[in-house]
Amino acid sequence: MALLVRLEPMGLRKLLKNGLRRGMTDEQLQAHFMDFWQLVPEATESACLLNALEERGWLTRVAESGLWKTHLGSSTTL
Amino acid sequence: MTSIIAIHSFRGGTGKSNLSGNLATCLGLAGKRVGIFDTDLASPGVHVLFGFAPEPSAKYLNDYLQEGAPIRDCAHDVTPQQVRHASGRIFLLPGSMESDRIAKLLREGYEVEKLNDAMFALADELKLDVVLVDTHPGINEETLLSTAIADSLLMVMRPDTQDYLGTAVAVEVAERLDAADIRLVVNKLPAHFDPQSVRDRVASSYGVPLGALLPLSEDLLTLASSGLAVLEFPSHPWSEGVRSLADALVAELVD
Repeated sequence: MALLVRLEPMGLRKLLKNGLRRGMTDEQLQAHFMDFWQLVPEATESACLLNALEERGWLTRVAESGLWKTHLGSSTTL
Repeated sequence: MTSIIAIHSFRGGTGKSNLSGNLATCLGLAGKRVGIFDTDLASPGVHVLFGFAPEPSAKYLNDYLQEGAPIRDCAHDVTPQQVRHASGRIFLLPGSMESDRIAKLLREGYEVEKLNDAMFALADELKLDVVLVDTHPGINEETLLSTAIADSLLMVMRPDTQDYLGTAVAVEVAERLDAADIRLVVNKLPAHFDPQSVRDRVASSYGVPLGALLPLSEDLLTLASSGLAVLEFPSHPWSEGVRSLADALVAELVD
């Protein structure tokens, strides 16, 4: 989660925050891309960003639920 | 829909666990179904307020986080009689008090995102209206997660210079995480302090609303965490302050 605090720009931080809790639907993901970067789902930039996030494992689509979930892979020692 | 309320403080000793237990009780008295996650796993304490006396085989939050136990098995019904009469329920997910379990947690850590999934899975299973998260003091991976996912973040502090400075850091981090609803709770206010100057200082220091201003209470000290103040001393100003906070949360978040 410390990674989430450091991330820039704000739109990216909010995107990954939205992938916490129960996760995001496709529609919510697309709305975020539009609101923050004025990108439609078909845009090359949308695909690039999503691929980059998926490659890092930070945002993945859960097959069973169809929701996009954030995984920053952080463990804690108290 | 379940509301997540995180109760956090930058420093220890602010009365965070006491507030968590009593707030849960007020919400239960309002007929709500409440789950309390005691994620202060290095020094768990909420169970004491409810007189929770576990069976030897009882499961703790540690068992879910480190051993893969089902989260439902770690939730214990600790509903006081008065809350039950008001149709509320309180389920506690306690941290283990066994020293070797605490040591294991300190040594090996745990995957904090499991906490996120557990809260929502349990909320669905037990039809919870509210999940209260009693966090570990300071800033770490778990408190950052709780801050990020909470519908409301209650930042508890004493009117103490170290608390003012530390709370400023915690509020700054919470704002960076775009925390949904931050409210400050000033606890243990000595009788000789002027409440209005504390309100003014809080307003000018943080720019976030004051959720409650709770007095330092001799009665609470006498109770010594062996019970719930809102049930033992319902007319005490401290209890009235917690009840007002609960009422505001119910009105603005839960209902």
